[in-house]
Amino acid sequence: MSLSALLNEYGGMYLRALLNTWRLTAICFTGAFIIGVLVTVLRVCPVKPLRAFGVFYVQVFRNIPGAAMLIILVYALPRLRILLSFEMCVIVASVLIPSAFCSEHLMSGMNTINPGQIEAARALGLTFTQMITRIVIPQALRSTVLPMTSLCVSTMLTTALGSQVSLRPHQLELTGVVNYINSRAVGGIMAFAISAALYVMTALLIGWVGARIDRKVRILR
Amino acid sequence: MSIQTASDVPMIELKNVNKHFGSLHVLKDISLSVKKGEVVVIIGPSGSGKSTLCRTINRLETIDSGEIWFDGAKLPEEGRELANLRSQIGMVFQSFNLFAHMSVLDNMTLAPTSVRRVPKAEARAEAMRLLERVGVGDQAHKVPAELSGGQQQRAAIARALAMHPKAMLFDEPTSALDPEMIGEVLNVMTELAREGMTMVIVTHEMNFARRVSDRVIFMDGGSIVEENTPEAFFSHPRTRRAADFLQSIQK
Amino acid sequence: MSGGTSIRDRLYEQPGPRTRRRVAAFTVVALIGLGILIYLIVRQFAEQGQLEVRYWDFFLKWSTWRFLLTGLLSTLRAALTAAVIAIALGFVMMRGKLQRNPVPRWIAVAAIEFTRGVPTLLLIYFFFLVLPRMGVNIGAFWRITLPCAISASGIIAEAFRAGVNAVPKGQTEAALSLGMSPLLTFYRVVFPQAIRFVIPSLIAELVIVLKDTTFAYVVSYADLMQKAKVLITSHDSLVSVYLVVAVIYILINYALNKLSDRMARRMNRTVAPAKVL
Repeated sequence: MSLSALLNEYGGMYLRALLNTWRLTAICFTGAFIIGVLVTVLRVCPVKPLRAFGVFYVQVFRNIPGAAMLIILVYALPRLRILLSFEMCVIVASVLIPSAFCSEHLMSGMNTINPGQIEAARALGLTFTQMITRIVIPQALRSTVLPMTSLCVSTMLTTALGSQVSLRPHQLELTGVVNYINSRAVGGIMAFAISAALYVMTALLIGWVGARIDRKVRILR
Repeated sequence: MSIQTASDVPMIELKNVNKHFGSLHVLKDISLSVKKGEVVVIIGPSGSGKSTLCRTINRLETIDSGEIWFDGAKLPEEGRELANLRSQIGMVFQSFNLFAHMSVLDNMTLAPTSVRRVPKAEARAEAMRLLERVGVGDQAHKVPAELSGGQQQRAAIARALAMHPKAMLFDEPTSALDPEMIGEVLNVMTELAREGMTMVIVTHEMNFARRVSDRVIFMDGGSIVEENTPEAFFSHPRTRRAADFLQSIQK
Repeated sequence: MSGGTSIRDRLYEQPGPRTRRRVAAFTVVALIGLGILIYLIVRQFAEQGQLEVRYWDFFLKWSTWRFLLTGLLSTLRAALTAAVIAIALGFVMMRGKLQRNPVPRWIAVAAIEFTRGVPTLLLIYFFFLVLPRMGVNIGAFWRITLPCAISASGIIAEAFRAGVNAVPKGQTEAALSLGMSPLLTFYRVVFPQAIRFVIPSLIAELVIVLKDTTFAYVVSYADLMQKAKVLITSHDSLVSVYLVVAVIYILINYALNKLSDRMARRMNRTVAPAKVL
């Protein structure tokens, strides 16, 4: 199929798929970030069992393959009487896995802080909470912009899991739409190329925004 | 029996302080009293425990036994009480430790506004005044990494002064500086001493110690070996170990 | 990565008695909370009959494990093959990106951005759906291996480049001043040093490839996941099999990540003193 024929017939679908990929990426990255922060809090808190739980969480979701995660959510959970919609399964998988990596990035971001600054904060009379909110978190966040940018891209790539469950046509994301078109018509290389181009464009856009933010907030040392 | 007035209470008092790092006995039964307005310099070879001693005064290092008093109050062990007491003691570190993600001005106003609840505008005006005083007023809007070591250290002193501390601790304030920058930092400290600030200074700058201090404490192996006036200490030390040390640092 | 003595330990002062009591109290509460969580999960399993012996007893049989092991070997074979191809591709892309000539440089940059921006699944669909229609017929093994390799190659190229950049400039200058050609300088002086920085990220990359091979079911390659499916039908025990298989993957990847961390730490130790800044 030629490019124009494809776009004529499926252009609207591609557009919706692109928006779905963006929507899923935004939702999942936000979710992953929030959970990643919470897990990091557990990993640095002084209560040993919570630390252990945080480490366990990260190791599980950092190391589980996306397909295995999705299959468990889609097939195993219903047998345990937990029913999620297909789309929700994709979202949960694309939140949990990146959240573990988010926590890893935050941990290494914290390690870039010079411990002397923590002593200085103490010596000035800042309380523990003030030290965390004014010194540790701002520095950790500002030094993890680039890793978080790659995390956002890899979250987008993870949402391609959406092609592995039967979503309704209006829910299809960029990988699922290629599958859909190929099962109906001979989409050929073009059907694939359009999605690939939209993915790469999005990744470059995320990278560009990330680099700009990084330039603005990067901490000179 | 006389009534104790506030000025009779020592600013800093250590009573039989002991501290171990594992099997190493780093502070051995240290007792030391610093009067209000007094400038005490602690010198000694590396590993003698002088920095550790300095850091116990605001509990950056905990102690195993003994007591530490500051301006008539026992050093609290934790929490808000400890933070409150620390806010009354200025500290200057070897590695400056300015907050890397903030401008110099924000470094100055952070503690006054968040710990003391000073209004922002007031804190900024005070910060500018102090920065001018230590000679880095024109650097206020830069981040620490853009300043030279000497400028950073002067800003760090100003940051401590912004809390209007009752005493200042200096933990080797010039050891990380290039030689040509040591003078500018020592000048600021000299001026502070003249104004009557209570100061405890760990340093290797012997000329400065001789010129500015009221008393010299010589430490070795975790103990106070000699306490003396600067004149007497540098011209004829009472102890053998102090004499050897002074000999060794003269090139 | 999570190291031993980190900033985490410096966040806290030595606790006073009040802090110690508070931490102890929170520890008890946390233990109770985690206990309740585990209890709820186990109860859910029990109530849905998932703890029945028939769902788990076949894991005591060697034949079950032998069966899974054949799948695991297929998985590892695909992952290792993909990793080797990815390293080769990554190396070529890195060489391209470091060229002065803009043509190979831009081709390499485009290739790297493409492989990093496109999901593995889309590449798998390309090899599965598109290539056969173009008359290219390769077996299931290559249909999973090649997309996984391409997908990982861009990241590996960047890892190589970071490694090359980590080699001090003076090394190149010294080699060139000895009269070595730029090519000889790169292969005999720069790259052998760079590879030491890169090995930990290559091992970590293997984890990504290994994870990607779990999409092998799309192209019907008999990997560990596929074997799990067979096991599920023959024992009618979906939950237990998928959980066990997930744990296998997690443990393998965990071990690989640990190995990578350890290598990185050893590199740092041996390399750090020579690092000139």
